[in-house]
Amino acid sequence: MITLDDYAAIVGPEVIGQLHRLAERLGPRRFVNINSTKAGGGVAEILTRTVPLFNQLGLDTRWETIQGDQEFFEITKAMHNALQGLKVNFTPAMIKHYEEVNRENARKFTWKADTVVVHDPQPAYLITDLRPRAKQWIWRCHIDASRPHLPVWRILREVVKQYDASVFSMDRFAQNLPHPQYLIHPSIDPLSEKNRELTPAEIQAVLDRLGIPRDKPIILQVSRFDTFKDPLGVIQAFRLVQRHTPCRLILAGGEATDDPEGAEVYARVLEAAGGDNDIHLLMLPSDAHHDINALQRAADIIVQKSTREGFGLTVTEAMWKGKPVVGGAVGGIVLQLQDYTTGFLVHSPEGCAFRIRYLLHHPELARRMGHLAREFVRSRFLITRNMRDNLTLMILLDNPGNLLIEL
Amino acid sequence: MRKKKNPTGAAASRPSKGSAGRGSPASQTTPNPFWFRECFLIPMPIGRKAINLRELLHAIREAEEPVLYYHLLQSRLIQSQPTVEYPNDFAIWAASALQDSQLAEKLSSFDPFEYEDLAQVRQAMVDIMEEYLWDLPNVPWARPGMEFHFCEASTVVMRSEISAATLPEFCQALQDVGLDSIYYHFFEARWRLEARDTDDFSYWIGTNFDLPELVAAIRAVDVYFYTLPEIRSTLLNLIHQHMGEPSDHPG
Repeated sequence: MITLDDYAAIVGPEVIGQLHRLAERLGPRRFVNINSTKAGGGVAEILTRTVPLFNQLGLDTRWETIQGDQEFFEITKAMHNALQGLKVNFTPAMIKHYEEVNRENARKFTWKADTVVVHDPQPAYLITDLRPRAKQWIWRCHIDASRPHLPVWRILREVVKQYDASVFSMDRFAQNLPHPQYLIHPSIDPLSEKNRELTPAEIQAVLDRLGIPRDKPIILQVSRFDTFKDPLGVIQAFRLVQRHTPCRLILAGGEATDDPEGAEVYARVLEAAGGDNDIHLLMLPSDAHHDINALQRAADIIVQKSTREGFGLTVTEAMWKGKPVVGGAVGGIVLQLQDYTTGFLVHSPEGCAFRIRYLLHHPELARRMGHLAREFVRSRFLITRNMRDNLTLMILLDNPGNLLIEL
Repeated sequence: MRKKKNPTGAAASRPSKGSAGRGSPASQTTPNPFWFRECFLIPMPIGRKAINLRELLHAIREAEEPVLYYHLLQSRLIQSQPTVEYPNDFAIWAASALQDSQLAEKLSSFDPFEYEDLAQVRQAMVDIMEEYLWDLPNVPWARPGMEFHFCEASTVVMRSEISAATLPEFCQALQDVGLDSIYYHFFEARWRLEARDTDDFSYWIGTNFDLPELVAAIRAVDVYFYTLPEIRSTLLNLIHQHMGEPSDHPG
């Protein structure tokens, strides 16, 4: 089992000491997290790791999931899409079923808690029946809700209003709500399969299996085949670089079987690649964390040329591996990448090509940028900071009405 | 109501004045050890945004003081980028979202530590933006998706387990504490203590050791333009120099 001490070697013992001191301040506490699945997706990934760690800190931490039929999850998927801005038609019957499934789950739960964190919209309605079971109710929204579809948000807002606080991943996702809203940036786990250190042999084994020679510098973009990730722009940039410097491009994306647009974008990318042996298009399963890790570590330069982005955790992952990143100047990428210091922010395929060429010809600078990037992630975007923020939030909610708590 | 009128209203945590033992400063022990505090800060979006410079100006006129305080000072702890290119969120936004380097320069050269309170700081910023807008034919707009989102912050401050009673112990502690402690004692202290040139560190050294030149050197650090790691290494270098010891710290 991974322990807090395993993280001390990465973030420093003082950071782990801070977590212990915050937990001591909180005292005995029953802490419940509720989401809709134990496996798959970013929320389950975070909870899998943080729930045991919170228990190690002395918080009596539980992780509950809600059960639902297929119709329920279709409704909540539609709700998720609507929060992301898709114009979804939400019927009264859908709302009724959403509420009923939450009510059924509420009847099964027996826990009592000091703090409950409910993740995303699926279980949000539980508060309606379970409010007396806990002192603090926090709604944690992991979704890019910067432009929600208004009719659906109106429905959800009435539910969310019952909570004591909401937590969003970026300032732009926050909404007008009658309770305090907090900002906790996403984080990555340095000990997960996607981010742990790999041996040169492990990296080589993955490259051999995927058929990627290491005869030329490797440029990598990891992302879904999605218009907003601009894979065609990356190929255009690569063509411009290739004219001057031999190199390879890897576009590693997830399977797009359930996403009609993804299949269409992939077809266009395949056509743009035009059978070039230096362009590798990889369709990896969603759990190919080890392969992604190896590819990121093998790459010389990592690109995230998005034209729209929420937070962009692939940028964080690349920075953690000490790579210079060339990223689109959008969304959370701007928050993470400092232009000319930890990477480059670009606005066009030409800009992307220009910066890649620059980095290929300045390997010492690329190494220095990568080093700064890794240290930046170490202090700002690792899972321990996320845990610290959550503990701090509980102290803040214990003392409502104050912007400053001195202990 | 959760707003505090004065965001800097933390009780001053100055140690009481005491006399250090005899001998060189490096060997003196003070009966008033410096206890490092830890500072945990969570930003709170207030649900207001600006899409162009005029909206930013209006919002700055109307914003509660904790909002100004966050974007001018506290965000330093949240972002902690490797270098300070522009020293506050408004200047960063002018450069990145409005792509207006001239405005970014004007908003950077403005230093909140030169003012007595946030009301004066607000007025100074309003003046800069009004004058700038006055001469422009068009209002600069943010690139799509790059609106300015206003935040304030909630802070938890607590005593760490790290203290120092001698200068060598202090130097070791400076290396052991988190950047949040450096922020709290050296950056935020200037507002908390309501003396813009005084921070917790120089106050403790000044009241416990006979090192007026070190105190003056620490107070001469132009804090607004340093990152927190740079402040840490600069302080270590200054203390080592004044103790007559070589320093192995870069910076």
